[in-house]
Amino acid sequence: MPFRYKSYAGRILHIDLSRGTKSVQELEEGFASKYLGGAGFCSKMLYDAIKPGIDPLSPDNTLMFATGPLTGTLFPQASRYIVAAKSPLTGIHGEAHAAGHWAPEVKFSGYDAIVFRGRSPKPVYLWINDGEAEIRDASQFWGKTIYDTDELIKEELGDREVKVACIGQAGENLVRFASIINECSRVAARSGMGTVMGSKNLKAIAVRGFKGLEIADPEHYLDFIREMHDKMLENPFTDSRVKYGTTNLVEMMHQIGRLPTYNMRQGVFEEFEKISGETLREKYFVRPRADFACLQRCGRFVRVPSGPYACTGKGPEFECLSALGSRCGNSNLESVIYAHHLCNLYGLDTISTGSTISWAMECCENGVISKEDTGGLDLSWGNHESIVKLIGMIAMREGFGNVLAEGSWRAAKAIGKGSEKYLICVKKQEIAGQEPRAQKSMGLASAVSARGADHLYAFPVLDEVGFGKEIEERLGKQYLPEIADRLNPKYKGVMVKKCEDFCRLIECVGVCLYGTEIPPVYYYGDIVRALELSTGMKLTERDLRMTGERVVNLNRAFNAREGITRRDDTLPSRLTDVPAPKGPSRGQVVELDRMLDEYYLQRGWDRETGLPTRGKLEELGLGDMADDLGGRVI
Amino acid sequence: MKREGRSALKRKILLVVPEKCTGCRICELVCSLTHGGVCNPAESRIGVVNWYREGISLPMVCQHCEKPPCTEVCPTNALKRNPETGAILIDPGLCMGCKMCLVVCPFGGLSLEDGEEIPVKCDLCSGEARCAGFCPTGAIQYVSATKTNMGKRRAAADRASELLRRSA
Repeated sequence: MPFRYKSYAGRILHIDLSRGTKSVQELEEGFASKYLGGAGFCSKMLYDAIKPGIDPLSPDNTLMFATGPLTGTLFPQASRYIVAAKSPLTGIHGEAHAAGHWAPEVKFSGYDAIVFRGRSPKPVYLWINDGEAEIRDASQFWGKTIYDTDELIKEELGDREVKVACIGQAGENLVRFASIINECSRVAARSGMGTVMGSKNLKAIAVRGFKGLEIADPEHYLDFIREMHDKMLENPFTDSRVKYGTTNLVEMMHQIGRLPTYNMRQGVFEEFEKISGETLREKYFVRPRADFACLQRCGRFVRVPSGPYACTGKGPEFECLSALGSRCGNSNLESVIYAHHLCNLYGLDTISTGSTISWAMECCENGVISKEDTGGLDLSWGNHESIVKLIGMIAMREGFGNVLAEGSWRAAKAIGKGSEKYLICVKKQEIAGQEPRAQKSMGLASAVSARGADHLYAFPVLDEVGFGKEIEERLGKQYLPEIADRLNPKYKGVMVKKCEDFCRLIECVGVCLYGTEIPPVYYYGDIVRALELSTGMKLTERDLRMTGERVVNLNRAFNAREGITRRDDTLPSRLTDVPAPKGPSRGQVVELDRMLDEYYLQRGWDRETGLPTRGKLEELGLGDMADDLGGRVI
Repeated sequence: MKREGRSALKRKILLVVPEKCTGCRICELVCSLTHGGVCNPAESRIGVVNWYREGISLPMVCQHCEKPPCTEVCPTNALKRNPETGAILIDPGLCMGCKMCLVVCPFGGLSLEDGEEIPVKCDLCSGEARCAGFCPTGAIQYVSATKTNMGKRRAAADRASELLRRSA
């Protein structure tokens, strides 16, 4: 029987890699309406499937890819999937997200989600041909880059339209921050999901689909899409997005002192103009590229025409420009473009890669790491030749690269000698490109996010450069003016809580945080209408808010079960105790404790321990989880 | 070449401007929703060919050729030009399902949906061309036939005039 709600494929594919078997699970109505898809499906299914305390790199881990109900339905930017597992980097809930064309293809092939268990005895890839799943030998692709793997699989299958999500050498070699990449350029980057894929001997998932997604009310849906398009194209922010993608954040963030520089020692970079969005556009930009159903086309196709860093392909976005640029004191833009290109070939998270290298650079500056440790590599700030060389060494686990391949937190444990002092991590994952002393909400967001340091879990960007009207509409007039002041810690607990709930909902339905969280174009009301017209589900705004909140609580429960409490919701002391030395945020620190108090209160969690409460879990329909958590719930 | 149907001056054509295409494939779903009420690129009459590594895209659709091989090969005269819109349309009552049109079309302008006997193709949405209407970048335009080349002429002329200016 077809699934009651339209625009879902209605089925989940289960693959047991140890046994080489597959099975298909019909989607259940109650499950779909309660968890919607994407982050909701993953959070619930992984909580149930993964036993606490397991080794993330063992066959006991479960790796799951899930799309949302709007993925592939023409809703703007609904091109996304989420991949989740227990993270080998953080040891807690891990997830990453990517756009592109792969996720819609999974749905056109007849599945909403794919779940992998066990470990294959030899390298394999999964081929889903219009719903027919086949586990195939991948030994001929093992050791290949992302680009070559993509190409060779298309050749082997004889179909250029096949969409491939795969890992590179970094994932194979179990580098703890390996990514998964689809269409050679869209990256599910953070928390080592590519590493989990590598541990399962799973090289790639290739998909082709010819099935349609039914739409509950097609005629009105198309009118609605027209309305959504107009709303996006009329937004003044869209022009800037088309022109720069996210790259001009380099100059914008430098101006407010939020551009991580020299391992986040400071938030301004003297040479920011050399790596700015404007410079990238002038010298290397070829054309904008869009993902499935996307109007904003933030993808940058770039070219470095000649020299040692000659390359062509998808270019760096803000996060990469900061991680491999300012963070490492590197103002050689061609080297950043090339370093990004290498990360995409090997399948590495650029944020953790750049942050780990910048940590090593500061250790070298302070004599904690010597040239002997690095095998002769000079890790002075801005040495772009060393940065580029290290990327390959990390991916292949060669020499000093093998130490860094464990991520900065584990590398510091191994090296000792006070190197821990320079770590810019939360829960063992490196903090992304937001210097939180210049934006307090980002500090709190990173401290409490479920997958360790993370800017996207809450993505509290509205106080960045002035969205006063939207802050009032979305977060509440009663919190003005303090909530809109990025340096004022007051009401940032409110902000992070509300933004987390919304962003989690967006990751449930398969839409991008761009166009929803920033620019703040679509909000709950639009998602309510989209879901009603496409799926036929009649959900209220309140239902959707609860879904987002449910996901946050599910992730918190998962982490609480692994032993996470308030004392883990912390930031490096550099950010909480050392005043920002330079720039417009000079003298600022992150007042984390008072923001945490407010945040737990907003969450309905225990203030002392940060643990979820039975009352809140029951309110969200997660009462059974409260029983399961035992002493880990208050 | 003598044109069939209405005056060419008033006829609009579907014009593809590949350099503006970002590869988003909105056109594909607008097409499949319009014609079949579903989101399915496989049922779309327009298909964007993407070269992800080269960062280029080309929307492919029936060109409604002036001398269409599909109408010439059709043994039952089922493919004919609509005089109002200029679109080449299939008359399902006349079509015998031989699929020769699929064979001869050099652009893949016709396709066969799963389980169907009669090919489908672009009908310009009876003169509305919704794919063009939804295209956010102007990569697909539905414009007057006489205007179609002006953009290209202007772009080429710009380059030429640059040389002229330099040599002046």
